[in-house]
Amino acid sequence: MTIIKKFEPEEKKPAYPKKYGALIILTLFILVTIEIWVSNTMVAYGERFENLSKLSKSLLIENQILENEIAKNASLISVASKSAQLGFSKPESIQYIR
Amino acid sequence: MRILWIKIFFLLFFVAILIRLIYWQIIKAPFLQSLAEDQHFTESQVEALRGNIYFSDYSILASSNPTFSLFGLPKTLTKDQIMTVSYILAKVLAEDNEKIDDLAKDFINKLTQDLYWVSLKKNITFEKRKEIDNLNLSGIGFDQTNSRFYPEGSSSAHLLGFVGSDAKGGTRGYFGLEGLYDGELKGVSGFIRSEKDALGLPILIGNFLNTNAKNGKDLSLNIDRSVQFIVEDALKTGIEKYGAKAASAVVMDPKTGAILALASFPNYDPLKYYNFPKEYYKNSIVADQYEPGSTFKVLVMAAALNEDLVKPDTKCDICSGPVSIGGFDIRTWDNKYRPNLTMADVIIHSDNTGMVFVGQKLGLDKFYSYLQNFGFGNSTNIDLQDESSPEIRPKSNWREIDLATASFGQGIAVTPIQMVSAVSVIANGGFLMEPHIVKAIKDERGLYEVKPKIIRQVLNKSAGDTMKEMMVAAVEEGEAKFFRIKGFKIAGKTGTAQIPVAGHYDPTKTIASFVGFAPVDDPKFVMLVRYDQPTASIFGAETAAPTFFEIAKELFSYYKIAPSE
Repeated sequence: MTIIKKFEPEEKKPAYPKKYGALIILTLFILVTIEIWVSNTMVAYGERFENLSKLSKSLLIENQILENEIAKNASLISVASKSAQLGFSKPESIQYIR
Repeated sequence: MRILWIKIFFLLFFVAILIRLIYWQIIKAPFLQSLAEDQHFTESQVEALRGNIYFSDYSILASSNPTFSLFGLPKTLTKDQIMTVSYILAKVLAEDNEKIDDLAKDFINKLTQDLYWVSLKKNITFEKRKEIDNLNLSGIGFDQTNSRFYPEGSSSAHLLGFVGSDAKGGTRGYFGLEGLYDGELKGVSGFIRSEKDALGLPILIGNFLNTNAKNGKDLSLNIDRSVQFIVEDALKTGIEKYGAKAASAVVMDPKTGAILALASFPNYDPLKYYNFPKEYYKNSIVADQYEPGSTFKVLVMAAALNEDLVKPDTKCDICSGPVSIGGFDIRTWDNKYRPNLTMADVIIHSDNTGMVFVGQKLGLDKFYSYLQNFGFGNSTNIDLQDESSPEIRPKSNWREIDLATASFGQGIAVTPIQMVSAVSVIANGGFLMEPHIVKAIKDERGLYEVKPKIIRQVLNKSAGDTMKEMMVAAVEEGEAKFFRIKGFKIAGKTGTAQIPVAGHYDPTKTIASFVGFAPVDDPKFVMLVRYDQPTASIFGAETAAPTFFEIAKELFSYYKIAPSE
């Protein structure tokens, strides 16, 4: 009995399978979509950023004004004047206890 | 032939397009680019905030106060809008005594000018600005400026100096701390350049150039605001009570050289400095040169004690009458003479002839050397802008009479800060300290502390202690004994120096002073009080001394120092 082995020529496999190509295209597509989405979102955030920036400036100014107001009310000139109005005076004679 | 003409036509057409393209793309490119950048980019300067100045307890002495200027853009408004905007603004901004109609007319006049930008109102508060912002008016805007804010008013004016304008219209500090530390306080302005959209809003993914503003550094002072208040209050009362032309006082910690209080009158409002005469800007504690008179005797005596040339019980053998030197008669202030006066008595009675004796014992070389060692003839390096330093005549120019008069504080010029630094040598055991106003400089990177600096040792401890006791005796038995505070050991010396006028001394014009320190065993402060030309009495014992003791009494209470006797 003769066994005849049939040799069929092997199909040449492509160096890079098609699925990799598809994957790259899909990745690029997703990245481009994300980029467009981020760009649009970021552009829309400009207004929000501007408002936040204005709010931050405004709060800093308000903080400075309040600090100054506290300093003015706590100044010794103001305290001396208010304490005099309330009837306080300098101690005339201090007694020391040994 | 037609084909040829068509070809020529197309060729010329393309050449024309090419030339036009070259014109716009190459020749006009920079101009167009700048136009585009103007349209796309917004640029703004971020003003650096001037640093704050704090008292030793970190309460504010000087800070920045934001104020706003309202401006209008006439070209962007129609006539109807101008009328509406002007009346709305006038309603918000009219002050108590201002009529709304008048203010509105003023705004209308300004907004109808043929200008792109007009200033409408300055010094608008933050509250008013917010109120106007909420109205969403078109054609107006605000510029922010920072003015200086002084919660204690004119307190410490001479110490602070003031902030004015420089030649370029920017801010600049003048005199005092604002002047000396201007570089540290003013900071560096920043710059923002960002891309904007059609609505003028920033494009976050666009080009963005940001140079951060660097705010000025904060100064923390050695000045104790309670001590400063006590000193200013006492001086204000004193200058009126004694009818003096000017008054000044300085309080220093003798161990560290830290200036605890420094005040002079008349003073000025640093916010409205331009309403005051320029002579008021000068800080007399560091800039005034005066003859110290008898307060100087303690330094000369300390020098002689240090050299072992005299002792407290050494007797003066030239004190039985006026001393004649170089054709001049040197007399005592009360024309009373006490033969065999001890050195302790010389200080107690403030005897000029006794000091001539001490001066002669020292001799010119040693006297001159001690003058320099005590810091006279050089600036103290106090951190204030306007310090002066009176020169000492070269040693070769000194005559015998010069040595004699200088030994009791006449014919020699000093500044109050030099005087108080020199007396602190006696108080602290013999060391000349560099006086300092600033305790620390703070910025975002950290804190730089100014450490106490010993310049040199002038006296040994024993001489210093002996001199202290002689000064205590001067307080307890001298001319100012009626004002002393019972129970407290205070060292001090009065001074009444006549003022040289046109080559001679005017007997009616004096500088009355008192210098001293307390408590003697562990001095907490050394203080100099000075009145310029007091009229109630010309003597330091009757003017400066009472003020000194009044301040000292309050300082004992403030520092919780109990009496030792």
